[in-house]
Amino acid sequence: MLNTYNNMIRAAGSSAPAMRSAFSISILSAIVQGITYGLMFPFFREMLAPTVSLQSLLPFVLALIGLVLLDAILRYIESEHEWTTQMDAGHEVRIKLGEQLRKIPLEYLSGRQTGDLNVVLSGDVNHVVMIMGGLFDIVLRTIITPLTAIAIIFFFDWRLALALLILFPLAIPLYQRIREVAARENRVSAAAHADVTANLVEYAQGLAVLRATRQVGEQSVRLQESLKNLREKQTVATQWGTVPNLFMSTIVQVGILTVTALGTYLVLAGNLDIAILLAVLAITVRFAEPLSIFAGMATMFDFMEAGLERIDALLAIESLPIQAPVQSIERFDIEFEQVNFAYASDDSKTGEQVLHDVSFHLPERRLLALVGTSGSGKTTITKLITRYADPQAGFIKIGGVDIRAVTQSELMENISVVFQDVYLFDESIRDNIRMAKPDATDDEVILAAEAANCHEFISRLPDGYDTTVGEIGGTLSGGERQRISIARAILKDAPIVLLDEPTSALDTESEVAVQRAIDRLVENKTVIVIAHRLSTVVAADMIVVLEDGRIVEHGTHNDLLDMENRYAAMWAAQQQARQWKV
Amino acid sequence: MTANSSRSDELSLWGIIKPVKEKIYIGMILSALSGVAWIVALVLLHPITTELLSESPNVNRLWSLGGAVLLTLIIGFILRILSFRWSHIGAFELEEILRTNLASHLAKVPLGYVVTTGSGKLKKILMDDVMSLHAFVADSTPLMARAYVTPILILIVMFLIDWRMALVSIAMFPIGLVAMRFAFTDYEEGREAYDAANEHINQTIVEYVQGMQVVRTFDDGTSSFTRYSDALTTATKTMREWASQTRYGAFVARIMFASLPTLVIVLPTGIWMLQNGWIDVPTLLLFIFLAPTLAENIIPLIWLSQLIIMSQAGAKRIGTLLSEPILTEVEMSQKPANATIEFKNVTFTYAERKDPALKDVSFTVEEGTVTALVGPSGAGKSTVAQLIPRFWDVSEGRITIGGVDVRHIKSDDLMKHVSFVFQIPFLLQDTIRENIRLGKPEATDEEIIEAAKAAQAHDFIINELDHGYDTKAGERGTRLSGGQRQRITIARAILQDSPIIVLDEATAFADPENEAKIHAAIANLTKGKTLIVVAHRLSTIRDAHQIVVLDHGAVVEKGVHDTLVENNGVYARLWAKFKDAQGWGLRRNQTDEKDKRAEEIIVNDAINVPEPLEGS
Repeated sequence: MLNTYNNMIRAAGSSAPAMRSAFSISILSAIVQGITYGLMFPFFREMLAPTVSLQSLLPFVLALIGLVLLDAILRYIESEHEWTTQMDAGHEVRIKLGEQLRKIPLEYLSGRQTGDLNVVLSGDVNHVVMIMGGLFDIVLRTIITPLTAIAIIFFFDWRLALALLILFPLAIPLYQRIREVAARENRVSAAAHADVTANLVEYAQGLAVLRATRQVGEQSVRLQESLKNLREKQTVATQWGTVPNLFMSTIVQVGILTVTALGTYLVLAGNLDIAILLAVLAITVRFAEPLSIFAGMATMFDFMEAGLERIDALLAIESLPIQAPVQSIERFDIEFEQVNFAYASDDSKTGEQVLHDVSFHLPERRLLALVGTSGSGKTTITKLITRYADPQAGFIKIGGVDIRAVTQSELMENISVVFQDVYLFDESIRDNIRMAKPDATDDEVILAAEAANCHEFISRLPDGYDTTVGEIGGTLSGGERQRISIARAILKDAPIVLLDEPTSALDTESEVAVQRAIDRLVENKTVIVIAHRLSTVVAADMIVVLEDGRIVEHGTHNDLLDMENRYAAMWAAQQQARQWKV
Repeated sequence: MTANSSRSDELSLWGIIKPVKEKIYIGMILSALSGVAWIVALVLLHPITTELLSESPNVNRLWSLGGAVLLTLIIGFILRILSFRWSHIGAFELEEILRTNLASHLAKVPLGYVVTTGSGKLKKILMDDVMSLHAFVADSTPLMARAYVTPILILIVMFLIDWRMALVSIAMFPIGLVAMRFAFTDYEEGREAYDAANEHINQTIVEYVQGMQVVRTFDDGTSSFTRYSDALTTATKTMREWASQTRYGAFVARIMFASLPTLVIVLPTGIWMLQNGWIDVPTLLLFIFLAPTLAENIIPLIWLSQLIIMSQAGAKRIGTLLSEPILTEVEMSQKPANATIEFKNVTFTYAERKDPALKDVSFTVEEGTVTALVGPSGAGKSTVAQLIPRFWDVSEGRITIGGVDVRHIKSDDLMKHVSFVFQIPFLLQDTIRENIRLGKPEATDEEIIEAAKAAQAHDFIINELDHGYDTKAGERGTRLSGGQRQRITIARAILQDSPIIVLDEATAFADPENEAKIHAAIANLTKGKTLIVVAHRLSTIRDAHQIVVLDHGAVVEKGVHDTLVENNGVYARLWAKFKDAQGWGLRRNQTDEKDKRAEEIIVNDAINVPEPLEGS
């Protein structure tokens, strides 16, 4: 619990002091409540006295009212802290996580599914950070109020107090053992759950195919099996899941009954005032319910712990280090020297080496085309230039400066990337373009759009440049989105341009427009292009042919054709494909 | 009670749990009974204390009364566990039933609906929303039964025993309720603003996370971060306002409906009544036990209603999906006479749009011929292709296959007649063999290999995959390129051997080597079939028997390549653009300087002289 507490305080960030004082007040209020319960004793004594007199109880009545009021005041102060603290803490964690996403290595960022990250930023913050204070408060009260009450019982009868005190701590180790079993069962059903998810996604994606073979609905064997399996696992897990609750409630009830039986025995033996027994009973009954739901609380704590760990794990990722002394880029030739690279080993990539001794030097304002089959390392080369990850050996220099000695923001200032998948934010077209250069004037934005061949269609939109992407999202064609992204890049006017041949998935009309836009973008720039259609890079200053992460051929188009080797073969295959007809 | 008011509503929680309502009701009854048992145990304290306080306590009677308490507690306890199990097992069964129903329903709604909704959104409904019901079905229903039954029963018992003390016991309630009412005015409105703010936060996060990879190729994320943090700050402010509004209500509720304030009133008043001889000691004792129990039972009623509101949203989405209209199916399929396809005056409008996507489209595709659909983006090519296998049903006109309206063919028969080769290949997370077999479940292994060979997939399956045909596709770590996946799906289509093939831009993403193989595979697939191809690369369809040119949802031209080029219409324009696009190359216009430049670029420079490259 101390561990959870520390994690919580850390997660609370600058709200930690407020949270700590909220907890202190909670503890105080819990003690006040315990003492209030202790006041039962004089009342019960008076109740069972031969002559009952309310007047003699007056000080106690006043004390009772006073303590309840004090508790109310404490709770009020605490509630002042609680809500705002949690919201501030949640807000702060989200800002921290958001900043972290800007810093963590891109390799890590793209290795994580966006869904996973959403779970942390959205779900974990909501279900952990925003409720942890309230949850911890309940736990504190559940423990401290009974302990205070038991301490008071000691003054009246140590035997009953001792009986109460012994029973509860005894239960804890046993309880934890049982909970482990339940947790194991829960993991099993979580796995079954993941299985169902995978099958359902597959089902939804493959419905067209599955329908043709009648493997739908109840006939969908795989889906049905995984659903049945999930239910079975859940049922077993539920049976185990009830055990810790059951155990805790049993302990509480047994505790009360034991104390009652012991007390009754003592009363009958004349060793105990019946008033004390009844008061103890009236107090302990009040704790029965909170203590028995304590088991459920423990599950919540596990859940919380896991969420906090996920947040911590994300925050713990270190950004790629910047080598000292920090330098700035003055020239824009690109140099790869004996670069070896393997993706970090994770679930999706196997960690095998994808680039072997790749070396080349691209002078300023020249165009280099990367050619090769998928998986040959073309994309990796462009990624490394943006410092997606650092190579294991060799180095990459821009203008003679190792990119590891340049700040990420300076590096990215000098590079424009145009890829096939275009991401547009749900804001105005204008802001989407301006993103490349936040201080650009409206005229500059329009000039860039004109150069990228998108001014015309943007002007035709209902609100022109102020149309938000969300309103028209679906109606923008691939080519139009592509041109907006090129407008961005043109506005950015970075000296280096990386292109992942952006036209191959477009229809003819868009293609021509995008091609014109690219022509303007690459004017006078240092360009590296990943080429799928060889005909588009015939004029490249240099074509590099990659195979399994190695440079196998290089030269101009004509040089390579003369070699009559890989490139020539690819060229022939593509020429042939062009002739292909259905 | 919310239960009655909304029970009629099919989309409500109570409507959705119908399939397992017996189990849920049993769970609720058991839970209510466990509440009763707890009260009985408390009430039994009355005779016990009476006995204890008598001049000469009857020990035997005491022990048997004690035994009775123990017994009721045990019974109550067992009831509670049973209730928990019934409701949970009911809830799990409901999850299974709902997912099966949803999956079956998805198989009956127009495929277009499935495609446009997207697997991500469907997953959210089938997994997350179904799961969100669990909190309601499994946890809330038993609690609800107990939360309603216990206070009512306690009230009855208290009034039966002594009405004066009963009134004293609930003295705090009016104050509490009035205070809460007062504090919770505008509650609904605030709650909506709060929910909206929360939703806004989630959207902002999704957008920020999704965009991050792209944004980081742009700058260091400053622009989108500012947007993110601004949105968060605004939303947090709204939430804090709501919180400060409801804080008092929550505070009052917590203070009033707790055991101690009730005891503050019950203890002195009770002793005063005792002093005046209105009640006896055992009665007072009973109230000291019962009155706080009553107070403590009010709080769950407040947060239960919150829980129900939260589950309601999920129930609504599930209900909406389940009520999505299905494609009408005929009882008996009519058999198409041949594989000729005919569009007769087809007009089609997407459900949520005003303008028709297709207007009065008519054309005929003779059996065994090739028809290409051509047009600018948004012209309706894909829509035409999707109407044939009934992704959607036409709004007007009709589509026939071999003279039979597609709506008169059962959809699984129809799917057997038409193979659709999609742009994005779909593979099951199963072996390559099973993925191909999907085209014809009764196919032998030999047939599968034959199909794979015809689809140019056999070689890479045997040579490049660790377990050949038994390699699992789609699993993480199995790296199949787009072109390879495409060829596996073509093998499946070859095995399926449908007389009609619809091809949608299948080669756009492939690299050159794959492209040639895919072409060969497609040639094998389409041999002797009726083929409709949605084409972008116009060179591929130059020899088509018929080219149908669409523009803005209408057929503007029909004919063969040469005539259409001569016509100087839309097609001629597209063709000119296409030739233009084909001729494009980066910096084509600057070739004269090229040779000079090539010398400047040094690959594998002097520091690292690589071994000479051997020819392959």
